Amino acid sequence: MIWHRLVTAVPAYMDVANSRWLWISTLPVVMVVLSQAAIFLRRAWRDGKEMGLSEDRLRSGFKTGVISALGPSVAVLAGMLALIATIGGPVAWMRLSVIGSVAFELPAAELGVSQFGYSLGDPNISQRAYATAVWAMTLGGTGWLLVAAFGTRHMEKAREKISNGNEKLIPIISSAAMLGAFAYFLSGEATAGTPETGSIAVGGLVMLALLRLADSRDIQWIREWALGGAMLVGLVVGTALQLTVGSWW
Amino acid sequence: MSGTTGNDDVYEDRFIPYINKWGRRTSLLAVALSFGPAVALFVIFGIIPPTQAIIAAFASVAVTFGSAWVVEPLSYYPVLGIPGTYMAFLSGNISNLRLPCAAAAQESTDVEPGTPQASIISTVAIAASIFVNTVMLGIGAVALVSVFRALPDLAKTALESYLVPAVFGAIFAQFGRDYPKVAGIGLTLALIMTLLLELGYLAFLPSYPLYAVIVVSVFGTILAARWMWQRDMIEPPDEGEAE
Repeated sequence: MIWHRLVTAVPAYMDVANSRWLWISTLPVVMVVLSQAAIFLRRAWRDGKEMGLSEDRLRSGFKTGVISALGPSVAVLAGMLALIATIGGPVAWMRLSVIGSVAFELPAAELGVSQFGYSLGDPNISQRAYATAVWAMTLGGTGWLLVAAFGTRHMEKAREKISNGNEKLIPIISSAAMLGAFAYFLSGEATAGTPETGSIAVGGLVMLALLRLADSRDIQWIREWALGGAMLVGLVVGTALQLTVGSWW
Repeated sequence: MSGTTGNDDVYEDRFIPYINKWGRRTSLLAVALSFGPAVALFVIFGIIPPTQAIIAAFASVAVTFGSAWVVEPLSYYPVLGIPGTYMAFLSGNISNLRLPCAAAAQESTDVEPGTPQASIISTVAIAASIFVNTVMLGIGAVALVSVFRALPDLAKTALESYLVPAVFGAIFAQFGRDYPKVAGIGLTLALIMTLLLELGYLAFLPSYPLYAVIVVSVFGTILAARWMWQRDMIEPPDEGEAE
């Protein structure tokens, strides 16, 4: 295991946290996630074709999913470093492949070890405190899963109510929901500082420019790479702003 | 775009029941199997925290995130659809990964949001994103840790801080292109709510009232859009101009 040599003053629980047994124990649930994706994909492909979606469009959708996932996955990986350093490789991998995000797992782990008076990063965290962190993340994560498992089929009623059964309103409602959700996400980022705000603005502008270009010339691959391009330019501009003007708020 | 007559039946009568059946099964199986590491710590290494420590830790997590368990699935459902909701809440990383992938794929295949076709394309794109990120994180956790440690701090900050806001800006712009007025209202609502939260004016609400910001942003924007549509102030892009 690579990180054993890299981390200085490794807490005692890290031997357990990075052990082969823990890797093995994470495999079944990750397999469920992959199986679910495979089951849904197969069925969507088959029924999608019956619904008049061409093989080309389905393939384009898959390709765009792959391309658009690359950048954020690298970003998640960067965030995962903090988790690997505190809860070990296997659990970090499992928590970020299943259910969680760094924004949930880190505080949950912190709440776990804090039961014994530790804070994440302390060199002397006990094995029992570490196990409590694992339990806290596991139990906490099941909340979303249970709501999704039992609630999803009932949510359609809420949507029908909002659209009053009006077919034409559905695309507008969906777009408005997306706009509301992303307005919420980006407000949180914008209040964090000037570089984040610049990164949002540039990401948006690059996206608009690329989509306009793709529409006017009807170039499909630009549409598939648009999000990737916007991400990259936004990332560079955010970093440039951080280096030049810093943050004003 | 192809017509929807007859397609709705395949979607409503066959696809969705199948997804509900397997979505619930896989989610519940995942709940059980997610205890793998906790059980391994106990069975193999004999490490088990005292029950009251587990309960106290869980209670703190529930107080902090309990509202998100309900608010998030409800709020993202109109965007993710049924299959997307099962997949996104099983695989996590919803705002930074699943939603952007689904949205980008809907744009590149030119399907109308909220339609059965859009739901199929989202399913395909989210499945693709799950394969990519599970594999990348797996390789990363085993092999790339040392590479990442060696990256200059600047590159690490850049990846950790500025990639996600760029994604948010891009997806917001993509949908705002079709509905600029709705985008303006959504952004105003979300900014006001976020500022109120950060300045402490929402403190009268129980626990940490982040949920109020999500609910007002998502459902406020939906209701505003409905109100504007009823007054002919906005219309879906396909009817006006040719895309």
